[in-house]
Formats: sequence, structure tokens, C-alpha cells
Amino acid sequence: MSRLSGVFRRRMAGCTALGLAILLTPATLAEDAGNLYNTAVDVRMGERYFERQCSRCHGFDATGNDETGAPDLTGRLTRGSTDVAIFNIIRDGIPGTAMLPVAEDVPDPQVWQVVAYLDSLRYDPGSVVLAGNAEAGGELFWNGSDCADCHMVNGRGSRNGPDLSRVGENRTPDDLLADMINPQENVAPRWWRLRVTGADGISREGYRMNEDSFSLRIMDDEENLWSIPKDGLQSYERIEDSTMPSYAQTLSESELDDLVAYLFSLRREEI
Amino acid sequence: MNGILRSLPLALLLPTVAAAQEQQLQTVITPAFTPITWERLVDAKNEPENWLMYSGTLDSQRHSLLDQINTENVSELEMKWAYQIPVIDRAETVPLVVDGIMFITEAPSNVTAVDARTGRAYWRYDHELPEDLRICCGRNNRGVAILGETLFMSTLDAHLVAIDARTGNLLWNTEVAPHASGYSKTAAPLIVKDLVVTGIAGGEFGIRGFIDAYDPETGELVWRTHTIPGPGEFGNDTWSGDSWATGGSATWITGSYDAELNQIYWGTGNPGPDWNGDVRLGDNLYSDAVLALNGDTGEIEWYFQFTPHDVHDYDAIQIPILADIEFGGEMRNTMLWANRNGFFYTLDRATGEFLLGDTYASVTWASGLDPNGRPIRVPGMAPTYEGVMVSPPIVGATNWYSPAFNPDTGLFYVTSFDGEQEFFKRDEDYEEGERYTGGGGRYTQPMDAFHSSIRAIDPATVDIVWEFPIMPRSSAGITTTAGGLLFSGSADGYFFALDAATGEELWNVSLSRRVHAAPMTWSVDGEQFVTIASGNVVFTFGLRN
Repeated sequence: MSRLSGVFRRRMAGCTALGLAILLTPATLAEDAGNLYNTAVDVRMGERYFERQCSRCHGFDATGNDETGAPDLTGRLTRGSTDVAIFNIIRDGIPGTAMLPVAEDVPDPQVWQVVAYLDSLRYDPGSVVLAGNAEAGGELFWNGSDCADCHMVNGRGSRNGPDLSRVGENRTPDDLLADMINPQENVAPRWWRLRVTGADGISREGYRMNEDSFSLRIMDDEENLWSIPKDGLQSYERIEDSTMPSYAQTLSESELDDLVAYLFSLRREEI
Repeated sequence: MNGILRSLPLALLLPTVAAAQEQQLQTVITPAFTPITWERLVDAKNEPENWLMYSGTLDSQRHSLLDQINTENVSELEMKWAYQIPVIDRAETVPLVVDGIMFITEAPSNVTAVDARTGRAYWRYDHELPEDLRICCGRNNRGVAILGETLFMSTLDAHLVAIDARTGNLLWNTEVAPHASGYSKTAAPLIVKDLVVTGIAGGEFGIRGFIDAYDPETGELVWRTHTIPGPGEFGNDTWSGDSWATGGSATWITGSYDAELNQIYWGTGNPGPDWNGDVRLGDNLYSDAVLALNGDTGEIEWYFQFTPHDVHDYDAIQIPILADIEFGGEMRNTMLWANRNGFFYTLDRATGEFLLGDTYASVTWASGLDPNGRPIRVPGMAPTYEGVMVSPPIVGATNWYSPAFNPDTGLFYVTSFDGEQEFFKRDEDYEEGERYTGGGGRYTQPMDAFHSSIRAIDPATVDIVWEFPIMPRSSAGITTTAGGLLFSGSADGYFFALDAATGEELWNVSLSRRVHAAPMTWSVDGEQFVTIASGNVVFTFGLRN
């Protein structure tokens, strides 16, 4: 505990006796045993530290920042999935990137609190109890509905919607249900539509695969890929709606639950 | 002595030597680089073959008199060379070119000298940095200043170093402020006569900002002007309690200088903590302001505060552009300023008098400016614990990246951003060396839902004469030329040229990575080039031979 600064002690003055008892556990033991700083108070302290020190790059809600390249920390982490790995990244930084190590005088327990906060943004998918049946949902997805007319899973299906092969990793069951009931909420720019008339007078419409300051790229309804310069465009229209209909009326509640269970099971690792 | 030089006397004795070899020898017998005097810096506009300071000239117009590349032939530009910076990070550098040698700063705090014709290195200076840096927003360096045969560079550990421009040898290394307390340095210094004038970063760490002047020979401090008045000084009572001592007001971009008025102009950053103004009630002078300092003593001659008691991180860290324009039927010595807060200002630069101002981008925090240029605030726009949506977002309607002024068109050009963000307030205690921001922000929409533009503004009316949309959120600077061109870059990795009079697109090239820097133009042996950093690479373009 020699690294526990006066500042940190002041910050922790309001902790419960239990919190302090955990805090006084040697850091090395904590590393061996996983994160021991994971009480509600620790999570709150970790959140405060995160907002102050980390949010400039990772966003105030930890969802990342395209501009800084700082990743979303609320879903599956790609550089380290265990508490110890996350601790080491925060402590040591990632060489060659903008991810700098925390200051040396930040005590290990404070770093563990940040780990606890990041853990709190995720959840153990194995602990989720679902109303639906994943097997029935899979059957419905592939044979009983039009899902596969647009979506692809592990190389099967179509190209007219997001690839769902790992959709369970970053979407909660509630998110997945909302996606099917109200697909117009938060349409990703990749699935906006562009309707343009080029300098050649030909009109084309398709999914907005990419758009930049001087050109755009679309996939039309025949799945042709077009790259079109903006200079000389005769018309340009951007439609920020989703082409996916709502399934609130067309599928029953139990069918939606089954689909949620199936989609939630789509991930790299079995749960 | 190398082989080419050894053959020189022989070549002179034998006039029948092949023409190609003769041409090669010519480049050798005209040695690159002559010393830079103060007189050359004052008159930098009239040696447009060189780019002698961060903003090109002391008035920071970023307008070059070179016109070989122009609206007629710009489409014939092609890449001549690329220099890959070995340390992977983003490049915010604006190189200097001095008589055929280019000086490129690199992340984190290094500088290299290359042959401007080929991009091949003469030397490289690696600055050793401590591990416990306190930096807010990336490991960046934006450029060097030059006087005589010496380069002056800011470093991330809040030092100022002097480097021999011929060899890269370190001449002196002065600590400007203790880095462990939250100070750092990223901006190019400004030479003013026989002084190296430089600012400081650290506005997110509760520092007390200042502008310094150093002796270029010794590295000794000549004067320091704090950007927050101390007890007993005018303006100290604009900070409640002791908040002045940790109030930020950093000076993290380069200023400008008017030799006739002998005034240095420098912008100041946000008051700290950024998003919680409860602990620093008052106007918080001289944060978010421009200061006019006496060019010899550093004494404050006037100030103009753009955003009193800022709670949105609207730094006035923009380059002051000095231009003489017709205003109200007479020629005025003005300063033109598109601010991070979304308003454009035309000021009298002799007195600081507010002449005119209006919005040039999306603004919701204020409904306008009063007759003195003070913003009229919209209630309910201060950050809250729950979050409140405000425009401009934290990154601003513009930011540190350079605007330009073209005397031929009379237009001011700025990279602008129309966006919005949720602002949050948090309670924090100051702890030395720790971040002290009091909140933060988040976007609720994807970046593609927003809009950046190059906007051409008439400074006499604040009318937007034309605008050219680019994908958000651009952080590229702008340069214009006597060839009728405007050069800039974009967040999606383009370098492009527009017609400065009309905004018409004339040329673009995809460089793939984000442009975080401003272009500059120069020439060697009568051939004009234009240089831009994109991602981690410095690219140079010239006309097809």
C-alpha cells in the first residue's frame, strides 16, 4: 500500500468499512485473484476517474471516438478480455498508440476501480435468462421469416443488411428486440441510402457503403458496386431511414423472443 | 568530402562536361540555407520561395505570393515525394522551408531536416522525454521557429529547445514549466526581433497560463506575462476565491506580430475547470481572449475577451490574422478572428475595439453579440449533471487549425464545423498534475450526421460569400496563393485545391489518412511546390514536368 497517495485516501474517505478493508488488500494479491475492488463504491470511483482521465478520448459514456481512434469500451474488448489484461493496458498503455500509461503515482487500487467500472459496462452473457428459444429462433430466422433475405450469418444469407454473425457480442437482448420493433432508431450511416444522378445523367440508388468529401460508393439493389465522384452530380439525396420494416405486428411476441434468443447466441464463443 | 564535390574543380576546368552533370554540379555549388535575420522575417512575404514561420508571415495571413501553380494548371499537380515519419502518431506539423531545406517536426517532440527537393534527410533531432507526461489531447508538435541558424521548438515536457539548423545539434534546453504539474508545449514559437516568444499548454490540468519570451542565444527567460492576473492586478477579481491560481487560460497555439504597432497578439484558452464554472465565478480574465502585448516588454496593451466565464471549452486558441481592410468607408488595421465559440469578429488591432461580429456556424449557446462584442447568452445552455445539448460542440465551430486571408479576394477562410454535443458537469477538486476539467461531453449522433465546410467570409460584413462542404469533422488548416488558389485538407484524407474567389473545386487527391495540419507552399530553383501532412506522412506536390 505504499503507493496509496494522500489524494487517494481523501477520495476514499467516504467509503464503507468493507470498502476500506478491501482497499487495504495488497495489490499483488489482487492481481493474482482477479479484481477485488469491485464494490458499488469502487465502480463509482472508477467511473469518476474514467470521466476525468479517460473520457477525452474514449467518450464520456465510454462508447469510443472515431476521431481519436479510441475504441468503444462498452462491448467486447479486443486487446484484453480479462480483468488483469485490462488492468495492464491501463497501467502500462499500448506502445505505438495514443493509449498512454496512467501516471506512475496513481495507485494500483485506483486502476482496479477503473477496471471495475469498465466491467460494469458489460455483463456476463451466460447469466442472462431469456424468454425465447434460440433453436426455434434460428429455424424462424432461416425458414420461417424473411430475415435471411437481407441479413447474412457466417457466410449464409444476403447482403442487404448488417452481417449478424457476431451481433450477440455488442447488443443486449433488449437492444435486439428494439432493433426488430423499431428499426428506424439509430440507423448506422452504412445503411443509409443514397439516390444520385451522375454527370452522365444516369440515376442510381443504393446503400451508402462509404461517402467522403469528393466521392461516394454505393451498392445498388442488384448488388452492383458503384464509385461516383461528387463533382458534376446532377442530383443528390440522402435517406437516413432504414429499409427494414418493423416486425412488431408481423411476428408474435414469442416469435420475437425466439429470434432474440437466436441472435443473442451469435458470437464467437459459446456461452 | 564526397565524390561530387571532389569532381567540382575538374568540372570547372572541363567545359565540355555533359549538360546533365553540369546541372547536378550547379545544385552543389549553390549551398542550401543562409541565416535568417529578423529583417528577413519581417519581409517574409517577399521571399515566397521560403516558408519562414508557422503561419508564413508575421501577420499570419497564410497567403503566398507564388503563382506558378494557379487556377489554370493546378489539375496537373502530382506527388513529388513523401516523407514517412518514423514515430507512428498523427502529424500536425507545418514544415518550414529555408533556401531548399525543409524542417519537419514529428510526434512526439522531434524535428528532422530534409532536402526540400527530394525529402531525403540531412539530420534528425530526437528529444528525450520523461515517462510521466501530462498531455491532454495527443502527442503532437506543430512546428519550429527559426532565427539566424537556430531552430526553436516546443516539447511535450514543457521545455523550449534550440537546435542548430545545419546539424541538428542541441544548443540549449530550457524548462519552461514543470511538466509533472500539468504543463506541456506543442506549438511553434514566434520570433519577435531578438526574442523567442512562446506559449504553454495544460488548460485541462489547472495550470496558470502565460506567454514567455526567451533569449535566443542563451535560452534565458526575458519576460513572462501571465494570462490570469495575480492578486492586486487588474482583473484578478474576475475569479472567485483562489480560482485564478488554477484557472488555465493556456496559450497553446502561435500568435502574430505587427511590426509597426510593435504589438504581439496571442489567443488564450479556456478557463479551468472547463465545464464547471461554479468554482470560478466571474468573467475569468484573460481566458478565451486575445491579448495585445508590447513587443519589447510583454506588457498587456489591450485585451478582448470573446467568451467571458466560458463553460463550454471554447478556447480562443486561433491564429490572429492581421489584415488592413476597408471598413465603414476607410482602411482599418484589423484583426480577423473566427472563434471556436461560433462567432466571427473583426477588431481594430491597434486598440482592441470591437468593430463587427456575427455567427459563422451553428450556435445555440448565445443569441448574438452586444454592441461591445460580448455574447448574449441563451439561458439553460450551461452544462448540467444530466447533460444539455449545445452547439458548437466541445471541439468548436473551429479550433487551432489555421485560417487564411487572401488580400486579392479580401476574403477570410476558415474550416468550420456545424455540430452539437451533450455537455456534462462534474464536481472535482484540484490536484496538482491531475486533469481538472469538471465534466465532459458526448455526441448522440454519428459524426456523418454533421457537416464541415470551408467558409469564405467577408470580414467587413461577416457575410459568408461561399462555402464548400467537406466531411466532418475537418481539422485541417488553409493556405491561399497569388495563383488564385485555396489549399486545404479533410478528415477523410483528401488534399484539395479550390478557386479562392468562388469556392469551385479544382483538384483533389486522396491521401487516405486524416489531415491534421495546414498546407504550405514554397519553391526551389524557380519551381513551386505545395506540402501537406496527412496521417503520418508529409507529402509534397508539384506540377507535372
